[in-house]
Amino acid sequence: MFIRVEGLHKNFGDIPILRGVDLSVRKGDAVFIIGRSGCGKSTLLRCLNGLESFELGKIHVGNVDVQMSGGQPLSERQIRGLRNQFGMVFQSFNLFPHLNVLENVIKAPMVVKGLSRADAEAIAVPLLEKVGLKSQLFKYPSQISGGQQQRAAIARALAMNPKVMLYDEPTSALDPFLVDEVFQVMRQLADEGMTQIVVTHEHRFAREAADQVIFMEDGLVVEAGPAEQIFHSPKDDRTRVFLRKYA
Amino acid sequence: MKSLIAGMLIALFGAASAPAATAAEGVLRWAADAEGGAPYVFRDPRNPSRMVGFEVDLMEEVAHRLGLKAEFVQNQWDSLIPGLQRGDYDVAVNGIEITEDRKREVLFSDPYFVTYEQITVRKENQDLQSLEDAKGRIAGTLKYSLAERILKAQGGIEVRGYDSQTTIYEDLSNGRLDFVLLDHPIAVYYGNPDPRLKSVGRPVGDMTYGIAVPLSNAALQQKINQALSSMKSEGKLREIYDRWGIWNSRMAEAFQDYSPSKKATELNEYLAAMGRTQTWRQQAAQYWSYVPLLARGAVTTLQLSAVGMILAVALGLLLALVRLYVGGVPGFFAMVYTEAIRGTPLLIQLFFIFYGLPNIGIKLSPFVAAVIGLGMNYGAYEAEVYRAGFLSVPRSQMDAALSLGMNRWQALCHVILPQATRVALPPMTNDFISLLKDSSLVSVITMVELTKVYGQLASTYYDYLGIGILTAAMYFVIGLPFVRLSRALEKKFTKGRPHI
Repeated sequence: MFIRVEGLHKNFGDIPILRGVDLSVRKGDAVFIIGRSGCGKSTLLRCLNGLESFELGKIHVGNVDVQMSGGQPLSERQIRGLRNQFGMVFQSFNLFPHLNVLENVIKAPMVVKGLSRADAEAIAVPLLEKVGLKSQLFKYPSQISGGQQQRAAIARALAMNPKVMLYDEPTSALDPFLVDEVFQVMRQLADEGMTQIVVTHEHRFAREAADQVIFMEDGLVVEAGPAEQIFHSPKDDRTRVFLRKYA
Repeated sequence: MKSLIAGMLIALFGAASAPAATAAEGVLRWAADAEGGAPYVFRDPRNPSRMVGFEVDLMEEVAHRLGLKAEFVQNQWDSLIPGLQRGDYDVAVNGIEITEDRKREVLFSDPYFVTYEQITVRKENQDLQSLEDAKGRIAGTLKYSLAERILKAQGGIEVRGYDSQTTIYEDLSNGRLDFVLLDHPIAVYYGNPDPRLKSVGRPVGDMTYGIAVPLSNAALQQKINQALSSMKSEGKLREIYDRWGIWNSRMAEAFQDYSPSKKATELNEYLAAMGRTQTWRQQAAQYWSYVPLLARGAVTTLQLSAVGMILAVALGLLLALVRLYVGGVPGFFAMVYTEAIRGTPLLIQLFFIFYGLPNIGIKLSPFVAAVIGLGMNYGAYEAEVYRAGFLSVPRSQMDAALSLGMNRWQALCHVILPQATRVALPPMTNDFISLLKDSSLVSVITMVELTKVYGQLASTYYDYLGIGILTAAMYFVIGLPFVRLSRALEKKFTKGRPHI
């Protein structure tokens, strides 16, 4: 298993958000996490790449192991270890509004890896071409559509050469007719063998693209399995109730 | 108000002993406030870059007799004694009365001049000859002066306190006041020249001026006394007072010299210079001649403000970052600093830095003290401006930067700060313009900047309006490049934001 999460506990103050999450992801798989808002799926993503600390449990990614057993926050080294593995795409894109599309993509390689502008652009331009934004390099985020912004955000994450891509409801803020252009890019990455974890409410896309679907409720994984199994013959009653209501 | 605060601070800080004067070899540094006007120390109306006055002549002569060269130091009148205690100059000479209170703070030479308060009324007035006649009348005088205390002690007189002597006599001649009580030399220079006014009655009260010397320098006091005594016996003092037209009955008693006065050449020249009617062309040339002086003040103002603002920006940024991203005990102290500095007047902070800190062995030069005072004060305001700027950037921007592998510092510098700056720029520009003008407060610590030059020129020429407009224009002009710069920066940081 490329990613293994065991017994992950996370509280916000006194409120438990994750109550012992277990998860396994094979290299190259596309894993879709579904569930109601507030079930902990976004928090799970944020714990994976170290944006949130956690109280208890273990995360293993590639050759990085992070185990927590007390209340202390993650160390700088642990955070760095996790973060290098993941690229993250946010619901509201979070592009840097003061930079144009190209600058958004080359910023982190230049600042973090110390690349020259030319070297960073040599990475960024093909990526932007891949997500179909070659003609928009010098536009500012406010000047392009939501779908274009999200694709730029994907290119920005890819520029740091992550092993795994995390998507936190990547299409929730988009007009319905812009959703497909983002999925198109994710599909292409899957074809190239990128490991991807997607939190989404788009069950249609999950059904068609997922290698594994995970249903979460109340900070726990209720059921995990192939898309076919979860959507057509769920084993757990809670999954069944959820799908009847939202699918 | 300013004088009151200054007085309190003198009481607070003045008590401690100060380091002995450390004058340069061969120089006698003497301080006065040239804004006080004629005939003490003031800018020569014929050549405003020159200081003249009977105290200038006096100190030239005293220094000469001590084998020294006199060097004039400008300081706000309220601050003359604290500055002396601080050791910024050797002596203070500016109509400083010898009083018991002051004798605890400084040593005084033997009196060099005695005078009294003079009643001045309008020409047609016949019935007001003394304070006893003045019940129910309206009197004008300078705030916090001996004359004001005498008027109030008299009772039954409505007393109006003024900041500048020129306006007092104007108000008397246009009928707003019934009479004026002021020091005799002031009446000679500002009241009597007005053809609608006349001085009447017997001398009121007593004033004795002495040269103030630091408590620690009794040797200098001795030497000055010797010089004064020889000047008196050789008739040199009398000659100076005659020239300036201020020899009076009290002086005659004190010096046992009742011979008639000689020609008041300096007074006459002064009156000629002030009274000559000018064509508009001459008037324009006159204003033009002030420009170099004002410009020199403007350069000082600009230097103070620019360095002060750099300090304020750096400090403000540090405070905002500590409050937002460090927190805990440092964050608490940053907050306390901001609240304490914002909540107390800049004037008092300047006093504290300049006159207070020497008591614990920290003696800063006027420029350094001024810049630190301005920087520390405005830093507190900048801190809040930047905090608002940082808070205006959504948290999700930090998340995005961190998720790309930046550490918090890199995220701050490359992602948060540029966005925060855009928000902070307009209020920052506001603060800078405001600092430019607040920098005039540093004249309390011997700095001669734009407003101080204005005060000196205006009191020499009685021209508060014309020179005031010229000064205001100077402030506007030196502020303009910064407004432009800020607008250009704002544009740069607003790239890609069509609607804002």
